[in-house]
Amino acid sequence: MRRSLVFFVLLVGMLLAFSALAFSADVSKGIKVGNAGAFTGDAAAPCMEIYNSAQIAVDEWNEKGGIKGVKIEQVMGDDALDPAQGVNVANKFVADSLIYGVVGPPMSHIAQATMKIYGAANLTCITTAASKPDLTDQGFKQFFRVNARNDAHGWNCALFIQRELKAKKVAVLNEKVAYCENIASETINGLKKLGVTDIMQDTIVAGAKDYSAVLTKVKAYGPDVLFFVATTAPDQAIGVRQAKELGIKAVFFGTEGARDKKDFIQASEGAAEGAYVYHFAPDVFAVPEAAGYVKKYEAKYGTISGFGPPAYEAMNILLTAISKAAADGNISREEVLKNVAETKGYKGILGFPVTFDKKGDLEGGATYFFKVAGKDFKQVAVMTGK
Amino acid sequence: MTQVRTFIFLRTSFMDFYWQQLPQQLVNGLTLGGVYALIAIGYTMVYGILFMLNFAHGEIYMIGGFVAWWVLYLLTGNNVPFVNAGVLIAFMILMAMGLPGVLGILIERFAYRPLRKAPRMNLLLSALGVSIFLQNLVLNFQGAKARSFAVASLIPEGLRVIQVGDVVISFMRILVIVVAFLLMALLTVMVKKTKVGKAMRATAQDIEAAAFMGIDTDRIIVLVFFIGSALGGAAGALVGLMFTQVDYYVGFQAGLKGFTAAVLGGIGNIRGAMLGGLILGLLESLATTFFPATYKDVVAFMVLILVLIFRPWGLMGEKIPEKV
Repeated sequence: MRRSLVFFVLLVGMLLAFSALAFSADVSKGIKVGNAGAFTGDAAAPCMEIYNSAQIAVDEWNEKGGIKGVKIEQVMGDDALDPAQGVNVANKFVADSLIYGVVGPPMSHIAQATMKIYGAANLTCITTAASKPDLTDQGFKQFFRVNARNDAHGWNCALFIQRELKAKKVAVLNEKVAYCENIASETINGLKKLGVTDIMQDTIVAGAKDYSAVLTKVKAYGPDVLFFVATTAPDQAIGVRQAKELGIKAVFFGTEGARDKKDFIQASEGAAEGAYVYHFAPDVFAVPEAAGYVKKYEAKYGTISGFGPPAYEAMNILLTAISKAAADGNISREEVLKNVAETKGYKGILGFPVTFDKKGDLEGGATYFFKVAGKDFKQVAVMTGK
Repeated sequence: MTQVRTFIFLRTSFMDFYWQQLPQQLVNGLTLGGVYALIAIGYTMVYGILFMLNFAHGEIYMIGGFVAWWVLYLLTGNNVPFVNAGVLIAFMILMAMGLPGVLGILIERFAYRPLRKAPRMNLLLSALGVSIFLQNLVLNFQGAKARSFAVASLIPEGLRVIQVGDVVISFMRILVIVVAFLLMALLTVMVKKTKVGKAMRATAQDIEAAAFMGIDTDRIIVLVFFIGSALGGAAGALVGLMFTQVDYYVGFQAGLKGFTAAVLGGIGNIRGAMLGGLILGLLESLATTFFPATYKDVVAFMVLILVLIFRPWGLMGEKIPEKV
């Protein structure tokens, strides 16, 4: 009995010693950061923008000599919007001991599926777009957001629809993925609280290219505002175009994904005129600090939609934390995590200082509203929940 | 008395919501149906002769869409076409038929013909492989973003949308319906009235006997792949014109729907494919009218399952007796 107890204690002791060793490494071994996203499939365009923007940040750090002379490498992990593949990516990242942080996953349902894996390994994840509220309500300490949550956005959208657009009858079409379903229900709850109860709800399928059947239903309903909750800009371009074609008089209101000059305004060939979209960041072109990033991105990759700037910001926050952790020559994931959690008032290119609260959420998330005027978006309102 | 009156009033305003939509939904369904029919014909023709399912057909449709996009892009500067709009559209469709047609021939020659004597599974896998290859080829060279067709400038402002009572039909939809039916009519005439059509029917009926009769079955097969792919490509171009977008992934869904339409109508039967396509399109639109839109595919496939349970050879197929 005593011998097996001693043996047991020794075993546990060894395991603890090994685990401590496994998670702390010499800086010179290399520094990698992961980028988890859907790089193939329908969401490839925004996810590539996230990757490329983060890469610009990485390149800038490397040009300045990297961290302690070590060049940083960004590793792409493609989940193709499939939670099963997302889990594979998470396991791959966790197993690579040189990866000290991850930017992403931007999709709420993938973030949910991989939460436990990253959490068990204390591998920091900074997402740029996952906005489902309960992701940070589960007690996991390694998940951070540079974007506001859907409950804030939903309430702000409801305020905007009721107060600014003065709607009494609203049609909400939602795409039925985690993010869209959530935003739609938060907004509808908000509208009901504000006294707008005449609401029609229906669903759309992403990538279907033809929404005329469901839009015909909307036309028969005759709403004041059509809230088209889809993820990608091309889908919303088709939505606004077909709505106009069918003669729907309602004001078109789209989501963050539609904040894209080329894929929404240009693609709809004038049908988007007068449409509104909401977004979690103010106009990046109006932020002077962002000018350098904007120039680099546009020169190399083309037009920016709303997804790039937060990715650049997130990667910079992550690298700042890694650099602080590497100051003593040894990095561990726990150190990086602690540093990211302590981010306060980080001034980057988003136009507002980034502070993470206790749950990992962005403090003070506001929602910005834009109207399509001519070839560009004009910011028309900011809602902060009041 | 007032209770009865209110009841009738409630009932009619409830029905009103649906009645109001019906004409528009029928138009929506017809356009979708025409497109599905064109894709279904490609599947059915190949199956009729070779008894194989050409999984790559969906990607042919997608490539047809891209060809049309490139033609439009190359022949318009700043959204203003260099040639007359009608000529431009006709050229788009013709190129979208020709190039995928040739691609179909190449696929047959290099991916299917060597496997003709092999077990059926090998052919299927080869088709799947071609499908994945084409999808990723386009993804690699064209990128992941959906491409938009700048078609609004092609049609004069007054003609763009035509209103008939409560029904609003865009010009493009009319064009799509007209072209789809025209192509189907041409195909029917060719198959029924020409010598080559007779040869095709003979080859489909019994490939060995046709060979004995002196028909060059290899050439007929090449022709079938060309025509099937050309029609699939035309469908891609028409969808691009109508829904104004194409991306590397559209082939998957379209192929699935086209295949379903072909099976619904009786795989191997060309008229069945046309009928199946139209029915599928109408079903989808009507399903969206009465149920939430995400159930439209559920309804369509449930109908398919029911038809296959009670009439496994499809709506217009024939019971093929087991050859002993």
